[in-house]
Amino acid sequence: MNRSAMQWLFEPPSIRDMAPGTKLIVYAILTFWTAFVLFPIYWVLITSFKSAIDVNSGPVYLPFVDFQPSLHAWKELFVFDFWDTLRAYMNSLIIALSATAASVIIGSMASYALARFEYQPRFGVVFMFVLVMIGAFVAVGRYGVDWRLSCAVGVAIFYFLARALGRHFRARLSNGDILFWMISQRILAPIVVVVPIYMMFQQVSLLDTHIAIILTYTVINLPIVIWLMYDFFTSIPIDLEECAQLDGATRFGVFWDIVLPLSRSGLAATTLLVMILSWNEYLLALFLSTSRAQTMPILVAAMNAGERGILWWSMSVVIIVMIIPVVILAVILQRYISKGLLLGAVKG
Amino acid sequence: MTVVLDAVSKSFGNVKVLHELSLEVQDGEFLVLLGASGSGKSTALRMIAGLETVSGGRISISGRDVTDQLPKNRDVAMVFQSYALYPHKTVAENIGYPLKIRRLNRTEVESQVREVAAQVRIDELLERYPRELSGGQRQRVALARAMVRRPSVFLMDEPLSNLDAKLRGHMRAELKHMQHELGITTIYVTHDQIEAMTLAHRVALLEGGRLQQLAAPKTIYEDPENLFVAQFIGSPPMNVAHGRLDEGTFVIGEDRVATGGTETVANAVIGLRAEDCQVVAPEDGAIRAQLFANELIGDHTLVTAKIGEDMVSIKAPKEFEAGIDEAIGIAFEKDKLYLFDRDTGARIRRS
Repeated sequence: MNRSAMQWLFEPPSIRDMAPGTKLIVYAILTFWTAFVLFPIYWVLITSFKSAIDVNSGPVYLPFVDFQPSLHAWKELFVFDFWDTLRAYMNSLIIALSATAASVIIGSMASYALARFEYQPRFGVVFMFVLVMIGAFVAVGRYGVDWRLSCAVGVAIFYFLARALGRHFRARLSNGDILFWMISQRILAPIVVVVPIYMMFQQVSLLDTHIAIILTYTVINLPIVIWLMYDFFTSIPIDLEECAQLDGATRFGVFWDIVLPLSRSGLAATTLLVMILSWNEYLLALFLSTSRAQTMPILVAAMNAGERGILWWSMSVVIIVMIIPVVILAVILQRYISKGLLLGAVKG
Repeated sequence: MTVVLDAVSKSFGNVKVLHELSLEVQDGEFLVLLGASGSGKSTALRMIAGLETVSGGRISISGRDVTDQLPKNRDVAMVFQSYALYPHKTVAENIGYPLKIRRLNRTEVESQVREVAAQVRIDELLERYPRELSGGQRQRVALARAMVRRPSVFLMDEPLSNLDAKLRGHMRAELKHMQHELGITTIYVTHDQIEAMTLAHRVALLEGGRLQQLAAPKTIYEDPENLFVAQFIGSPPMNVAHGRLDEGTFVIGEDRVATGGTETVANAVIGLRAEDCQVVAPEDGAIRAQLFANELIGDHTLVTAKIGEDMVSIKAPKEFEAGIDEAIGIAFEKDKLYLFDRDTGARIRRS
């Protein structure tokens, strides 16, 4: 069998077909990589059973051999601090699941609309809207106007301006512009926007609530969902959707019966990604929650800020229980991530 | 059900792809929209389906104005060139989908799906997925899905062009037979003139977004409206030779051919079908030509000859033999001769 180096790289032969020597090397590399990936998890797992002395007196590797495992860290978190731990855990679950659901549902619909409908908003009108909103924001922040009043007046002014002047603007934006505007939301580092977001939620007295964090996570995840799903939606042959329309389906029926089942790979992958991002998010949660709405990452961070120094053992326990839901979700969603969903749809 | 297009036009931005197309499709008629790519035939079909908005004019189906109706409210079914089978549904679910949307109960859907599947002979395949089917089977599924809800009108967008040649011929015959059985008005788009001629009750030939001629296949072959139609239909296409018309006499090089008319046209074209010409000795023919090539096809020999700068094809008996570059004469009957104005392409009918 004569294969070029490129073929070897991009169409690797099955391990079963390899010569014994090659097979050995491949297995060695794979074993090394597996160990490399799994070792941190192993380390966290044994650390959670270590006592302070075992951690501080230098590395020990094997439970029952190097050190005597104890349940003290587990006890501390799940017996003495049970309610604090449970609250953070529930907060994390509620916030991550709600934010994921909201951003995937809203984002995939927005993305489908961008993939299949043509939008041509007038540039001038969009610009006017931004100006009016800046005005409203300044009124609240600088002059202490009530935010509800400011928003209502802003919207009213925009409405009449758009009605009066809208027709005179020639330049129009397209779907590409909207798509880019979406992703531009993610260009700024979160640390830059965290103070304005904090101020906003302070104004509406929603600090330290689930809803504030869910809203924020939904908004920062939307661009990711929209961009990822856009690609999946545009790869579905338009013929299928037109055919469904002729078969009698409504626009929403087409989305539900045809588009969603065919993009479920993308949906599953996107959901998982967004879930992981929301589950692990730290910076915004740090600003937006103080006690009642604290999430797990905040709890982890709190472990190294106590007066007793860094509590590696407690931190390990929290990390382990944090891994579990994501693994469960990944296992569930992985079944839907498959190749070749579109096979047989169209020919040529 | 009838379909009426009344001065329907379509523009994409500044590009006008369809110019005031008017036609009337009779109840139960098989109408073929024929044209090269870019002729506007697919756009016209998509406008009837409601997948494309109408820039001007009205469309009505069985007497009802549907110009502004959604596709689902037009009671038309379409077979796509790509078949557009739903890949995540089985064959039975694909065929049953239009019924499911109409909220028919399960047993009813099942029995109707079975009935239609039997009609197109895919009842063995109902549990399979589209990816497990051959091209011809997918074609039948697409057809069954269109048939199952008994629409007023069938729309077909080059449904056979993805099949191999042998299967295409077979499916063509089946389509024709089925359309006859069902008696459903059908509008069929194709670029293949053989399909158009064999399937259609009437052919609408489009070019550059304009209707060139709307007539029965026999008429469109024997009595073309203009030079474009004459050259589009027929295999090989109609022979043309350029010259001038001098009081009814066609002058080409040194040859003069009496046409039986009295017109005078400076830039004229004569048209002759390959099967209406005979190859004779140079002095016996109406026009002299130089033999360019002769090819034995089987039942006849296809002779290609040069008249001045124009190449013409002639169907000669299969025994015909002659050397390349030999001088020959072409003979034909006067009433088989077509005359066109070269500048406008319009047919000159002899007075």
